[in-house]
Amino acid sequence: MNFLPGPAQTTAICLSAALPLLLLCYARITAIRGAGRRIRLGCLSVVVLFAIACIAIPGPRHLDDVVSGLFLLTTAMMLCYVLFSLLAWGFTLTLLTALARAGSPLTLEQWAAAYMQGGDLGNFAHNRLKLLIGSGMVIIADGKLAPTAKGLAVAHLVKFVRFSTGLG
Amino acid sequence: MSFAVGFIAAVAFAVLAPVLQSVARARAWSLAPVIVLAITAVVSHVIGVLFGVLIVPQFRYWDAASIFSFGVMGYVFAFGAVSKSVSLDILLGLAERPDRTAPLSDVVERQVPALFQGRTGILIDGGLVEQIDSRFAATAAGQIMASRIGRLRRAFGIGDTGLYDFGE
Repeated sequence: MNFLPGPAQTTAICLSAALPLLLLCYARITAIRGAGRRIRLGCLSVVVLFAIACIAIPGPRHLDDVVSGLFLLTTAMMLCYVLFSLLAWGFTLTLLTALARAGSPLTLEQWAAAYMQGGDLGNFAHNRLKLLIGSGMVIIADGKLAPTAKGLAVAHLVKFVRFSTGLG
Repeated sequence: MSFAVGFIAAVAFAVLAPVLQSVARARAWSLAPVIVLAITAVVSHVIGVLFGVLIVPQFRYWDAASIFSFGVMGYVFAFGAVSKSVSLDILLGLAERPDRTAPLSDVVERQVPALFQGRTGILIDGGLVEQIDSRFAATAAGQIMASRIGRLRRAFGIGDTGLYDFGE
């Protein structure tokens, strides 16, 4: 068994390890606002660095090495995105931090208010609905919500993925 | 050939993971779905590597590992996107109604609070939150986790609202 990674694979492994550090650095740059923009910029940076490395590294190129490096880097980006989005937009985690921050036991209504930092669950619902409406999956007319054809297609896809991943 | 071994291991993971999720749910194992996924990934990776060492004379570990990790991470990405997304739960709720419409007030006043209560249940079952009469408080484990999440959010420059920032 050959356990040694090729040059592009080594580059991808190093860039994968560097991605969280890059995100930590970008967090210090005030011009880069917003968690979504920061993770997108972080991913773009490592892809560009990988492309530069593939061109600049001396020696012969092997397609399998480059393709494999790309797979490794994409894996790292997906992992970072999953963890980063949990931290940034995770509903359950934010519920926990809101309750812990309160410092004393709260009723369900107080907990919801603490989670929304003064707002209520209506604000949260509108925030999530804005995503669905903005992405063209749901429309609102006369105070009623309805899924669009795109929304129905996504709903079918979600049901299929839930079924095929054992989520029921 | 090493790529093919990694691909076969990823397919084995995709077949095994839903089966184990279903078994874990049916037998009420106290394992979080993500732990079941992690165990399945380790088992299928080890089996894949052993298989590769046995059948491929010049087995290249990183070629196999790259396509395996990409496949597994793609699966985890899809799993995470559909398993606990509030937006997709709202969309599915709309799509599953007979007339495929719902008053906005119904989603805001009934569906989202129900999702909120579901998440509080997850925190209680996980031992991170305890219910004292009609009030809720973070347990010691919950306080520790909330403190860790807070530190990570500060380090990565993430706010603590958990809301999408459409200004990005």
